[in-house]
Amino acid sequence: MLARVGENLYWMARYLERAEDTARLINATTMMLMDMPRGASFGWEDLLRVVGLDEAFHTLYDEAGEMAVMSFLIQDERNPSSIFTCIRHARENTRTFREVLPRESWEWVNELYLYTSTHLGHALDRRTRFEVLTEIIRRRQAVVGLLAGTMSRDEGFQFMRLGRNMERADMTTRVLDVSYAINLPYQNSQYYDLVWMSVLHALSAHQMYRRYVGVHARGHKVLAFLLNDLKFPRSVRHCLHEIQFALDELPGVEPMRHLQGMLNRVDQADYRALAANGLHGFCDDIQARLADLNTVISQTYFRVAHPQKMAQSLFSLV
Amino acid sequence: MKIDCGHYPLMGGFDELLEAPGKPRSGAGELCDFFAGLTPEELEARHRAVDAAIMAAGITFTVYSEAGNIDRTWPFDVVPRILSKAEWDRIEAGLKQRLKALNRFIDDLYHGQQIIRDGVFPAEVLADSKNFREACIGANPPFGVWAHICGTDLVRDGDGTVYVLEDNLRVPSGVSYMLENRQLMKRLFPELFARYDVLPVDDYTAQLYDMLASLSPRAGDRPEIAVLTPGVFNSAYFEHSYLAQQMGAHLVEGPDLVVLDDDCVYMKTIEGLTRLDVIYRRVDDEFIDPEAFRADSVLGVPGLMRAWKQGKVGIANAPGSGVADDKVVYAYVPQMICYYLDEEPILPNVPSYLCMHEADCEYVLANLDKLVVKPANESGGYGMLVGPKSTSDERARFADLIRANPRNYMAQPTLSLSTVPTLCEDAIEPRHVDLRPFILQSKDFYVTHGGLTRVALRRGSLVVNSSQGGGSKDTWIVQGVC
Repeated sequence: MLARVGENLYWMARYLERAEDTARLINATTMMLMDMPRGASFGWEDLLRVVGLDEAFHTLYDEAGEMAVMSFLIQDERNPSSIFTCIRHARENTRTFREVLPRESWEWVNELYLYTSTHLGHALDRRTRFEVLTEIIRRRQAVVGLLAGTMSRDEGFQFMRLGRNMERADMTTRVLDVSYAINLPYQNSQYYDLVWMSVLHALSAHQMYRRYVGVHARGHKVLAFLLNDLKFPRSVRHCLHEIQFALDELPGVEPMRHLQGMLNRVDQADYRALAANGLHGFCDDIQARLADLNTVISQTYFRVAHPQKMAQSLFSLV
Repeated sequence: MKIDCGHYPLMGGFDELLEAPGKPRSGAGELCDFFAGLTPEELEARHRAVDAAIMAAGITFTVYSEAGNIDRTWPFDVVPRILSKAEWDRIEAGLKQRLKALNRFIDDLYHGQQIIRDGVFPAEVLADSKNFREACIGANPPFGVWAHICGTDLVRDGDGTVYVLEDNLRVPSGVSYMLENRQLMKRLFPELFARYDVLPVDDYTAQLYDMLASLSPRAGDRPEIAVLTPGVFNSAYFEHSYLAQQMGAHLVEGPDLVVLDDDCVYMKTIEGLTRLDVIYRRVDDEFIDPEAFRADSVLGVPGLMRAWKQGKVGIANAPGSGVADDKVVYAYVPQMICYYLDEEPILPNVPSYLCMHEADCEYVLANLDKLVVKPANESGGYGMLVGPKSTSDERARFADLIRANPRNYMAQPTLSLSTVPTLCEDAIEPRHVDLRPFILQSKDFYVTHGGLTRVALRRGSLVVNSSQGGGSKDTWIVQGVC
């Protein structure tokens, strides 16, 4: 597999995952806000902090009202992580390697783009937002399903799997980190449960949490579920395992070494203690390690640094 | 909006489907009946389905303009063009004959230049050629074949004669649209295929693969083959990626490749470097190797020519083949066929006036309003003068251009290109078409069944290039029609 193609696949998967995660997050937040007391401090500003875009937002907009934040997160092309920008990037990337993907995947990604570009305006309006964002999620999931059902588990597939899970792990730690900070004022209030439940909602984890953990959203249990559950596909641990399986199928040893450290960290954490104190530092650490892993992946697979040298080592193997 | 053969406004030239209003040509009757039987709503619905399918598949080409590059969807017309198998067999034989002679010619030019010494081809034409590559002198590509893929433009004149308009030997494009057009027709008009025996076109990519594989310098079942593209901003990028996908080949850009001290070509992969055996280049040869040609090229691979000349990599079309893709050289192809093959040309050239000959030049200058004037080395329909549609200012400008550089211009009578019924805004009207079949040559020959029919969508226009308002149609070679 060409290094350039591997890199494009990796980023294509990251962009699509980011678009879907953002859509899920917005849907969950919109729903939750309707349950909050009017005048509650959780607002659109916090949503920007969750996705780490509050600074970028304020260079372009004055006030973080619903319309402005929705426009920024959903359709603003100046925001490199807006749903529209992500899908457009993914589409452009898909074009450059149509030859390595099953043919329909380009058509479906293209249709996702066409749908998004014509319907996004309706996502600004609360009345139609849920429907449009859900349709985007559905179409993106269709692409994932198509690839799962028709693509050989080759290197290209593994790079997409890597990208998808790197992005998802990153999003999970972000949502946790910021939501926790926002929730602090509500410790011991009647909204406590509600706020932790909203974290689960934001990550589409509420149903599985209820089924496997319990109906009440307790801080440390939510943390353990979202960070260390083996079976829930959006938990950090699950994502790391997926990354591990993908790396198993790819050459190179350096990325695996970096991954191992992160797995140990998640595995050995004391979640009861974290729920009381230190979650921010913990999430920061995981995010920094993910960024490191991203760099190592890039150096290992995408940058053929010294062609002459690598070729010689290749010959010595033959 | 129906195909009503009785009210079809023939343009006076040759129509591919109708002999006269109400009188379909032999074999076209079923097709006309079918379209006449569709209600306007049905036809409209199918037309919309075609547009939606093209949009969804992202079948696009890029138009360069001052406002930036625009990605346009491929304009496709639903009424197919029909040719009988019997007529096609003759055309196919003519196309093979022509490419065979052209390859002998190119090989001769880069070796002994016997054809010049024998006085059949003038030395001064070669001396002025923009596409003769000195770096290729003495090279010996496999089978002595240089132009492995040729897209030949054919046109039919008012009396029904099929002429060769030009031979595209550099990086001819369009074959992916031919394949896509057939897919679209099968999807949207399945019942038509039940009424006709249409020769399939799908085989092309397998044939292309086999041809490329035959150029591999290493013996083995699965040579590493790559399509070399200038990148996503090239107007034919869709086709590059399409062909790579269909062949299971890599789609590479110049920076993905490197030539090492062993003169072999390597791809930069996630595992390091992998040797590449064959390159189907879709980059003009001027740009493929900054060491040998344009030093400013960022699309190429330094050392590629070195690798190719030593036989370490196969390249199709071979660098230097463009020397025969020149509108002045074109005029000599009938002589080449006699000279190299000792055969009579099966397909005629359009009569051509070469401005380098004084008498021809005078005739051209005196008849600019009747002729089509073409520069020798442009493609895509650029830099042409269509006499009957020109203004006196344009003619004056061309007269100056021709006088300044007669070798660079040739002229041909304005043919009344044949027409095919085409779905226009609110009626079925005749529109002018040409035909570009694709011919492959390495150790064997292969000709596509039909080719890409391009149609000038503007009323009366003779320019079929997609960059200038052209569209396309599916082309049917039909068995059992005489």
